[in-house]
Amino acid sequence: MAAVMKSEPVYTSWKDIYRDKWQWDEVYWGSHCVDCYPGCCPMRVYVRDGIVWREEQSGSFDTIEEGVPDFNPMGCQKGACWSQSLYGPDRLLYPLKRVGERGEGKWNRVTWDEALTDIAGSMLDAIQEYGPHTIIREGTPEYSTVMSTVKFMATIGAQGIDMNGSINDFSIGLYETFGKFSPVSSADDWFHSELILIWHMNPVFTRIPFYHFIAEARYNGAEVVNISPDINPSHTHADYQVAINGATDAAFGLAIVQVILEEKIADWDFMREQTDLGYLVRSDNGKYLRETDVTGEGREDQMYQWDPDSGLKKADRGDCRLHGLQIALQGTFEATLADGSKVEVRPALELLRDHINANYTPELQQAITGVHPDTIRMLARKVAAKRTNIMLGYNACKFYHGDLIERAMCLVLAVSGNWGKQGTGIRSWASGMHEGEEIVMAKQAPGAQAAEAIIAAREAQFEAYKAKDPTATTEIAIRDITRLDNPPVASIPAFFWRDHCGYGERWNTPGWGDDSLPRSFDDYMNEAMSKGWWKEPPKDPPQVLIECGGNMLRRTRGGKTALLNTLWPKLKKIVTIDFRISQTALYADYVLPAAQHYEKIGFSIPTPHVLNLNLSDQATQPAGEARDEWDIYLALLKKMQELGKERGLTTYESYEGDTYNLEEMVNKYTLNGYFQDEEGNFDNEKLKDEGIRDSVLCGVLPFGTTLETLREEGHVRFIDMGVSPMGSAQASPIEKDKTFVPFRNHTEQGHPFPTYARRAQFYIDHEWFLEANEQLPTYKPNPRAGGNYPLGMTSGHNRWSIHAMNQANEVILGTHRGEPNIMVNPDDASDRGVEDDGLVRVYNDVGEFIVRVKIAPNVKPGQVISYNGWAGFQYTGWSGANEAEPGMVKWIGFAGGYGHLNHMPNEWQPIPVSRWTRCEFEKVENA
Amino acid sequence: MGSKKRQLAMVFDLNKCIGCQTCSVACKMLWTRDEGTDYQWWCTVNTIPGRGSPRDWEQMGGGYKDGKLSMGKAPERSDFGGGWDFNYDEVFYGKSAEKVPLRVVGEQPDWGPNWDEDQGGGEYPNSYYYYLPRLCNHCTNPACVEACPSGAMYKRDQDGIVLRDESACQGTRKCAEACPYKKIYFNHQRGISQHCIMCLPRIEDGVAPACARQCPGRLVFVGYLDDESGPIHKLVSEWKVAVALHPEYGTKPNIFYVPPIGPKPINDDGSIDENRNRIPDELLEQQFGPDVHQALATLQAEMAKTKAGGQSDLMDILIVYEWKHLFSEFTVDPVDIEQEAN
Ligand code: SF4
Ligand code: SF4
Repeated sequence: MAAVMKSEPVYTSWKDIYRDKWQWDEVYWGSHCVDCYPGCCPMRVYVRDGIVWREEQSGSFDTIEEGVPDFNPMGCQKGACWSQSLYGPDRLLYPLKRVGERGEGKWNRVTWDEALTDIAGSMLDAIQEYGPHTIIREGTPEYSTVMSTVKFMATIGAQGIDMNGSINDFSIGLYETFGKFSPVSSADDWFHSELILIWHMNPVFTRIPFYHFIAEARYNGAEVVNISPDINPSHTHADYQVAINGATDAAFGLAIVQVILEEKIADWDFMREQTDLGYLVRSDNGKYLRETDVTGEGREDQMYQWDPDSGLKKADRGDCRLHGLQIALQGTFEATLADGSKVEVRPALELLRDHINANYTPELQQAITGVHPDTIRMLARKVAAKRTNIMLGYNACKFYHGDLIERAMCLVLAVSGNWGKQGTGIRSWASGMHEGEEIVMAKQAPGAQAAEAIIAAREAQFEAYKAKDPTATTEIAIRDITRLDNPPVASIPAFFWRDHCGYGERWNTPGWGDDSLPRSFDDYMNEAMSKGWWKEPPKDPPQVLIECGGNMLRRTRGGKTALLNTLWPKLKKIVTIDFRISQTALYADYVLPAAQHYEKIGFSIPTPHVLNLNLSDQATQPAGEARDEWDIYLALLKKMQELGKERGLTTYESYEGDTYNLEEMVNKYTLNGYFQDEEGNFDNEKLKDEGIRDSVLCGVLPFGTTLETLREEGHVRFIDMGVSPMGSAQASPIEKDKTFVPFRNHTEQGHPFPTYARRAQFYIDHEWFLEANEQLPTYKPNPRAGGNYPLGMTSGHNRWSIHAMNQANEVILGTHRGEPNIMVNPDDASDRGVEDDGLVRVYNDVGEFIVRVKIAPNVKPGQVISYNGWAGFQYTGWSGANEAEPGMVKWIGFAGGYGHLNHMPNEWQPIPVSRWTRCEFEKVENA
Repeated sequence: MGSKKRQLAMVFDLNKCIGCQTCSVACKMLWTRDEGTDYQWWCTVNTIPGRGSPRDWEQMGGGYKDGKLSMGKAPERSDFGGGWDFNYDEVFYGKSAEKVPLRVVGEQPDWGPNWDEDQGGGEYPNSYYYYLPRLCNHCTNPACVEACPSGAMYKRDQDGIVLRDESACQGTRKCAEACPYKKIYFNHQRGISQHCIMCLPRIEDGVAPACARQCPGRLVFVGYLDDESGPIHKLVSEWKVAVALHPEYGTKPNIFYVPPIGPKPINDDGSIDENRNRIPDELLEQQFGPDVHQALATLQAEMAKTKAGGQSDLMDILIVYEWKHLFSEFTVDPVDIEQEAN
């Protein structure tokens, strides 16, 4: 690296003011260890006089693939002023104890010891009265807080609430189709696309560091289509805008499929190999023809295809490939059952054709979607001919029938052969490749040997699984083992809300769910429980809430008021650990100041989008009395131990019957003191170094990577996806000079999908799906959750903040109007006598909130856009948009007993939805 | 370099700009965080069509008419808005049972640097908008320099950056009256005017300006206008796809823009009109002058080549395979600059 000497040593006076701003003492690698997903932006943090003065993207990524733009200089406006939150007015510097009522804003500064003594006491009370499962934490993807919180909760046997079940970043329709929800290409792979369908995503807001790959793909010849009811910011660089009616995307997708099949421009062999569309379905009962039908024994999940030469053929559960065999995709055949009787069978594709020809021709869909038939035909022909990539965000899954929308999207790709090769696919979310972090937490001793023992045990577990089922891949073994290992049921948020927050009534409200079902919501739920698909969770009232990284009152669908009225009175102690004041902190009993990302060592969330592990180093000492979370939890454990001794409490049992020993906890947490420095504080640096080394041993990071090398380079590219559930679900190799695409193992090696049917599954013959007429992807109208109101409220991540994290940042507040708004169409505003920037009350049967209006002709008439992530305290009465969200879950999430449709942590479970909630607004006078 | 006059210029490719404000935040973090500069955003990004920042700046006059300096109006503090203080302490530690929301202290704002973000124009479903980053144009005929009565303003020979000797500035605000782009701010604390210095200390160190180097859209080209091997010359002078904003103002700006190509509009029957851009040609001409049409035609012809599977040199420049190629010789990484020991 060539050093450049400062030029012009002789300063002329006025310029020196500016030159002085361009000076620093030290530079560190930094990043933002939050789930801004992507994240992973390597920054340089410039320090002056011990204070972080500013940051700037490093621009240090090498070109990966020749002829594909590099990743530099990743970043966003939040990241460019992250340092503001170090010393800003929302920064927490000292432990605070509530002295008035909860939410009253009366605080006393207390010492750490006072705070920890009181909190530890309440935790022991909870343990002694009910057990440690009544100490709860919320799941969060805020990376810098996850590992320490998980480790602490596991050490004491407390309960975590499943992350995706609570925030619903779970692409449920992808899961139903692929048996996993998390395919993610590297962002540079978007450049290879020839057709980009931005569909339920707004990358102009949410993928700021990567958006350029879309613009560059367009210059490279790709066509970009933005599909959304509102002409949202991502339309700006699209070639086409499809202004679709809200929540009707399934009909639109199925019409594209209809054209591709009808015009015979489909990729038939891809469908034969990769999907279940060639599986035979019985005409008499609408179920798959199974081995148990044909032989009276064997596997219930063994299905059949039709070989034109030899008739019935067992669908290979271990290999998708057919080596040119043209199994039938159409026709009507006869199969003989074990009892000698005969049934008519047809390939699933035939049923699909009947279904879509009857309902979703380009002409028929227009009445639903408002999209012109010519547009459907034009797009269908392009999809069939081009490498197509669907840019999906976590928006579709937040619709009641989001699974149907996503299944239709997957079907579009299936009939056109669009996954498993560069420039194709559909995207979701994945992390977890930095496996060393998990290994470190499970180790019995420091060093390589202990790590290797875990790795070997893990391997042995996979091999044992595969020995029992030789058709299983390692991926399938990993998923099933994770599923069987599943954590206690109390961690499923839907049950938590039902039991402790009174949501059950809402779920059963007529009109708010799917009224076409023959039975009530409770009827389905009771059936699910009685069949043992889910375990009844313990009903004990939660006692202590530890909110670290999460922000329950801001984000929970169903609203702050609902939680304050139901959950809050049960809680004896509410503790928020954060570096800033959040909505939840305002209603807590204790607020403990954590170190901000530049004040502690960490990593940004590693994702396949960037494929790098990025170091965020400690650039400065924590401000005030703030501490690293690892250290806070250690101090809390010590305190519990101390108070336990006073109470004569040494051991206790968890709900599951495991024994926990207070005396051993500090040792467990610190690996027998190995992760403690001389003063007995937590040594996070040592932990990070150990984790990196263990990731090398796992084979996911290159040989020789250590904390020291990372301090040099700032980041290192992963070399393998490893064996975490989400990493292995990518099912693809990482090549050092190629963009990354998931699912290559499925398309190139024939690896089966981890579904019930072992292929991408479009026909789901689970009895509930048949009863609901959802065995095939189909369109169903969005329920009128919230009541009978004329407007529909939509959302999506905002541009200005990572969730609510940057909302109080004064620099960011200056880049918009400085307070929350809803966006509405000019006609809807003038009908209600509302002017731009006027104040309105938005209401429905659930609740209400008061907010300013931004009038924009790009909003669809009848639509109200309330971007997600404003802080609750930015609204009148601290009540935000979630006050009007009922917190519905689709009943189908309770389905079980069917291969991949069984509880899976972070994946299969009932998930809360909120989009297109019915509402109305009216003018209110300025407060 | 001798006494040769050179001009630094920038090209913003509006087909890549996503209005993320990273450029404006990067600039603010570096230069305008002091009292008096806190409301100043030397680089702003606004949604077009819109009233922009300062509000209705296009109606404020300035520049040259028939070659003669034409003084306009200097924007008022309220035309800029922004620079707000918030009631943090009241919200977080207010000690009142009232739940006071986070709000601007004092008079509630009715304008700011990015007030009309994402509103745009047109009628649903043919609504349209695009993002326009703006900073001082470091004009070849800087009206501000001519208008300055105190001799504080000057244009450097070696790179054409327009600067103000802040010790000589007397705060008459004539520069702001003359600047047709209204990119000059008044520091009410210090009683002087201020504007974008094109990151002078960075340029001195060979580092691209913050708005360019920090733009995650990788769309801000930097370089000398006369550097025939550099992207600026190619885009502005050879391909002529980068055009100035409001060339009719007569100051010869040195910030250029690749004009935006929006999606195709939707006909009354809901079908798509394949032959038009939903951003009206008249709007683009009003913004960028008549040369915009040729620029758009060239862009579209070259885009058609790659869409048909062919190759285009122009597209290769705009794709920017290697990020550093945006910055001509200004590619020094700041961390490589040796700092003087304090
Ligand atoms: S907040 Fe996230 S997207 Fe923005 S710069 Fe930081 S890591 Fe990148
Ligand atoms: S940083 Fe780049 S993409 Fe973002 S607003 Fe500025 S110019 Fe546009």
